[in-house]
Amino acid sequence: MRYLFFIAAVLAAGFLTSSPYKLQLLTFIGINTLLALGLNMLMGYTGQISLGHAAFYGLGAYTSGVLTVHYHWSPWLGLAAAIVLAVAAAFFIALPLLQLSGFYLGMGTLGFGMIMFVVFRQMSLTGGDSGLVGIPGLFIGPLSLDSPRNYLFFVWAVAIISIFLCERLIHSRIGRALRAIHDSERAASSMGIDTGKLKVHIFVLSAVLAAVAGFLYAHLVSFISPSSFDFLVSVRMVTMVVIGGMASIWGSLLGAAVLTVLPETLTVFSEYEMIVYGLVLIVIMILLPQGLFRGVLDIYERAGSKAGKASARSQG
Amino acid sequence: MNALEARQEKPLPVLRVEAVCKSFGGIQALNDVTFDVPAGSIFSLIGPNGAGKTTLLNLVTGSFPADSGQVVFRETMLNGRKAHERVALGIARTFQNIELFGSMSVLENVLVGRHVKTRCGFLGAMARLPRTIGEEREARSRAMELLDFVGLRDAASQRSTDLPFGWQRFLEIARALATGPRILLLDEPASGLNAVETSSLAELLEKIRKSGVTLLLVEHDMSLVMKVSDRVLVLNHGMKLAEGTPCEVQANEAVIAAYLGRDKAGPRC
Ligand SMILES: Nc1ncnc2c1ncn2[C@@H]1O[C@H](COP(=O)(O)OP(=O)(O)OP(=O)(O)O)[C@@H](O)[C@H]1O
Ligand SMILES: [Mg+2]
Repeated sequence: MRYLFFIAAVLAAGFLTSSPYKLQLLTFIGINTLLALGLNMLMGYTGQISLGHAAFYGLGAYTSGVLTVHYHWSPWLGLAAAIVLAVAAAFFIALPLLQLSGFYLGMGTLGFGMIMFVVFRQMSLTGGDSGLVGIPGLFIGPLSLDSPRNYLFFVWAVAIISIFLCERLIHSRIGRALRAIHDSERAASSMGIDTGKLKVHIFVLSAVLAAVAGFLYAHLVSFISPSSFDFLVSVRMVTMVVIGGMASIWGSLLGAAVLTVLPETLTVFSEYEMIVYGLVLIVIMILLPQGLFRGVLDIYERAGSKAGKASARSQG
Repeated sequence: MNALEARQEKPLPVLRVEAVCKSFGGIQALNDVTFDVPAGSIFSLIGPNGAGKTTLLNLVTGSFPADSGQVVFRETMLNGRKAHERVALGIARTFQNIELFGSMSVLENVLVGRHVKTRCGFLGAMARLPRTIGEEREARSRAMELLDFVGLRDAASQRSTDLPFGWQRFLEIARALATGPRILLLDEPASGLNAVETSSLAELLEKIRKSGVTLLLVEHDMSLVMKVSDRVLVLNHGMKLAEGTPCEVQANEAVIAAYLGRDKAGPRC
C-alpha cells in the first residue's frame, strides 16, 4: 500500500514537472537515495561505519564509463562489470577491515576512499583530473532513456525496488541478525550468528548499491571527474543517513532529498558544505540521536501523549 | 557391578573440561581445572569474586581460546571452533551483565535466538519464498512458546530493555533456549533478583532440566545453588578447590575457609 502511494507520487512528480532542471534534481534524489539506503544498511542497521563509500560510487561510475567510452561495451554489460568489481573490491577490503571496529573501521574505510580517489585521478583510462567525457545514455531495447523524464522514472524504479528488497531483508532472519550485531556483537555471536561473515556480506551489499548509483549517475551526466567521488561525498552520504535516521529505510529517502535539494537552492551551502555537514552531524547526534525524521516524530508524539495520558513511548 | 548400574551411577558427561589454563597478562585466571558435567544434571560453579568462573564459561563458549587443556562437548573437541559454531552444536549461554538486543522487542530478542535453527539467507529474505515464510512462522510460534515457558508472553511486544531488571534475566534465558541447546550456561542468573523472582528462577531451572537441557550454573546465591544443584564445583584463584554434592561441598573445611564462611557451612546433611 505504501509502495502504491510512493509510486503514484513519483509518477505525479514526473509528469507534473516540466523543467528539465527540476526533473534532473528529482533524479539526483533517487540516485542519492540508493547511496543513503546502502550505507544505512551498513551503518544504521549493522552499526559499522564507512567513511569511504564514495569509492564504490566512483567505482560503479568509472567502470561503466570507461568500458562504454573506451571499449564500446553496452552500458548494461558495463553495469554488470561495475557490480562484479564492486563485489570483489568490497570483499577484498572488508575481510581485513571488518575485524576492526568503531574508530579503526572508520580510519580504514577512509584510507580506502583516499586510495580510490587517487586511482581515479591518476589512471589514464579514467581521464585523470580532467575527467571522462562522452559517456553514452541508456536504452532499454528501443526505448531511449535520454529524456530527463524517462531517466527519472528509470532511476526511481531502481530506487523503489531497492527499498522494497532492503525492507524485506530487514524484516527477516538476516535483518534481525544485523541489528543484533549492532546492539551487541558478543550476544549476537552467542546466538550462533557468524558476525564476521555477516558484516562482510552487508558491506558488499552496500557497496553494490553505491556502485549501481554510480552507474546511474555516470550515464545521466555523461561526464564524470574525480571530484564527484571525493571525501566530501563520503561525508555527505554519512550525513544523509544521520539526517534521515540510522536504521530507517524511509529516512534514507528524506536524508537524500534534503541533501540533494539544499546545496542546489542555497548557494551559501555549497561554499561551506563541509562545515555545514560537520555541524549537522554534531547537532543531530547530540540533540536527536535517532535522526531528524524520527526525532521530530518523537517530539511530536511526546507532545501528543502529554496532552492525552502518560502513555509509554512507542518503539522506533 | 554391571554396565547398566555403572551408567546409572555416573551418566555420560555432556561436557568435559580437561586441565584448562588461562592467564591474562600476569593474572592466572584458570589453572589446571578439570571436571565433567553429567548429562541432564544441574552443575554449579561457585567461588569468590575473580575466581575465574566467568572465564571458564567464556572458554566453553569460545569467546577466547584456552592457553592449554581442552574442552570436549559430547565427543566433539571444541578447541579451535568459533563461538557461533559452538552454538549450533548445542551450547548456549547468558551473560553476567545482561546483554539484550536493546533496539528490539522482547519477541524479536527470542527470534534472534532461532537464528541457528533457521536457514534463510540474503536472497531468500528478499524473495520471501514460501519456505522462508513458513520458517518465519515456525520461528515465531516457537519463540512465543518460549516466552510462555519463562512467563513473559504478555510482554512480547515491549522493548526488551524497558522490562524490569528481573524479567530481563528471564528473557535472556528464553533467548538462549531458543537456540535449542543441549547445555545452557548461566552466569549469575539470580544476581539482582528479589526473593520472589529467585524462587521462580529455581522453578524455571528445574523445568529446563526436565525438558532435557543440562545446566551449568555460575551463582553466588548459596541457598539457590544448594537447592537446585546435583553437583557443585568450587573455584578459588583459578584452581579447583573442591567438587561434590551440595552437602559434601558445604561440609568441606577448605571451602568454608576460602568462600562460604562458618555461618553458611553445611547444616543438616
Ligand atoms: N577478558 C579479560 N581480560 C583480562 N583479564 C580478565 C578478563 N576476564 C577475566 N579477567 C581476570 O581474570 C580473573 C577471573 O575473572 P572472572 O571474571 O572469571 O571471575 P569470576 O569468578 O567470574 O568473578 P565474579 O564473581 O566477580 O564474576 C579476574 O582477575 C579478572 O580480572
Ligand atoms: Mg563472573
